[in-house]
Amino acid sequence: MADKTFIVKIKRQQRPDEAVRWEEYELRYRPHMNVIICLRDIAEKPFTRSGSESTPVSYEANCLEEICGACAMIVNGKPRQACTALVDDLEKPIRLEPLTKFPLIRDLQVDRSSMFENLKRTKCWIPIDGTYDLGPGPRMSPETQEVGYALSQCITCGNCLEICPKVNEHSNFVGAAIVSQVRLFNMHPTGAMHAGPRLEALMGPGGIEDCDNAQNCVKVCPKGIPLTESLAAVNGQVLVHAVKSFFRGS
Amino acid sequence: MSVAATDSKTSYLLDKLQSLSGVIPIGAFLAEHFWSNSYALVSVGKYNDVSRELQQIPWRIFVETCVLFIPILFHGLYGIYIWWTGKSNAIGHPWMANWLYVLQRWTGIIAFVFIGWHLYTERFLGHGVTSYADVQRSLLNPWYLTFYIVGITCASFHLGNGLWNFACKWGIAVSVPAQRAAGWFGAAVAVAFTFIGVAIVLALHYGAFPMGSYVQ
Repeated sequence: MADKTFIVKIKRQQRPDEAVRWEEYELRYRPHMNVIICLRDIAEKPFTRSGSESTPVSYEANCLEEICGACAMIVNGKPRQACTALVDDLEKPIRLEPLTKFPLIRDLQVDRSSMFENLKRTKCWIPIDGTYDLGPGPRMSPETQEVGYALSQCITCGNCLEICPKVNEHSNFVGAAIVSQVRLFNMHPTGAMHAGPRLEALMGPGGIEDCDNAQNCVKVCPKGIPLTESLAAVNGQVLVHAVKSFFRGS
Repeated sequence: MSVAATDSKTSYLLDKLQSLSGVIPIGAFLAEHFWSNSYALVSVGKYNDVSRELQQIPWRIFVETCVLFIPILFHGLYGIYIWWTGKSNAIGHPWMANWLYVLQRWTGIIAFVFIGWHLYTERFLGHGVTSYADVQRSLLNPWYLTFYIVGITCASFHLGNGLWNFACKWGIAVSVPAQRAAGWFGAAVAVAFTFIGVAIVLALHYGAFPMGSYVQ
């Protein structure tokens, strides 16, 4: 009996300046496969459906349990994590494309370092080091911890930027993930001591004002983070900060 | 995509002013405009009295310039810039809010064109003096009537949906239930404004006075 097979179509580019080509692969079906397994199968036998020899597909993956964010790509038109994209649930042929809002490296691999740069610019960390022991920080209420926990699950995958109509070549919007991290660090009692500089950073070009409320981000977040709430909350924080620092001085 | 290294707050201020100007004074004026023009549903005499009253306010040209012309021009032109910085993707991702975003973009453009034409024909061609008969004459033209209905619907939608955006963008409605409530409020405003605006132009077109019984 012949093995059950299915088709995977992959948008490929050796280099960013090379022409795009779509390659089709016919893979042997096994139950519970995910998209990463498909890419590994291709790496084992890099022959296209028509039999011509190709190369293993370049992609990023790490944890394989949707907690690292590395394997974000466009699967059947939707940005998502390849590790939790199960072959059984996907329409065939399966179409794989790289994220389009980040510089392409090769095939399905993109350079998402701009998100890390933006986390640094918005000071998304909590300074606890000093030249002497700073002692224990203030306590956090269980309610704040609960909201903070949801926000802390961000894996910087970039899906929210990929789906955002305001992230494109005409706009420098930092995207929902960064804004949500600003909310998380401003919520922390020690982090709140540096809320001002974070909000200042979001007041510049590409900051919070670029959000036009299409609310797509929250639909594609693999971690179910309440991104639209974060955007509105930080909008309010930036506004209060702007008014206060204008009238009262910073 | 990066937060710029500059300290410039200009874009923040302009964006906030663009958002605010849509509600005050433009949205507030639309409410006043529909209120005054609703006298077309009462009687010719009442309509002309109210029009004359408005056309003879003190400091008229300053009030018109500062409260209407400049805010509308700013909201419209800066709005076109904001339109240019977005790229719709609702065809592939047809979620409700994504469609509202697309509609907000296009109704804004249509309403801006309509308001420009409406100001030119009704405010500037008549040198600031119009009466029931003048407005009715233009609305007898079926193309004018159609353009009015399209313009009113777009402006009303843009205001209602804009109020929802405003509630989110000014951090007033933060929680999902609050954002949903703001959305329903905006929808109610859009429906009510469309209904009232269309009723006014239809009453003028047909010379009907459905509220004429108020006149003693």
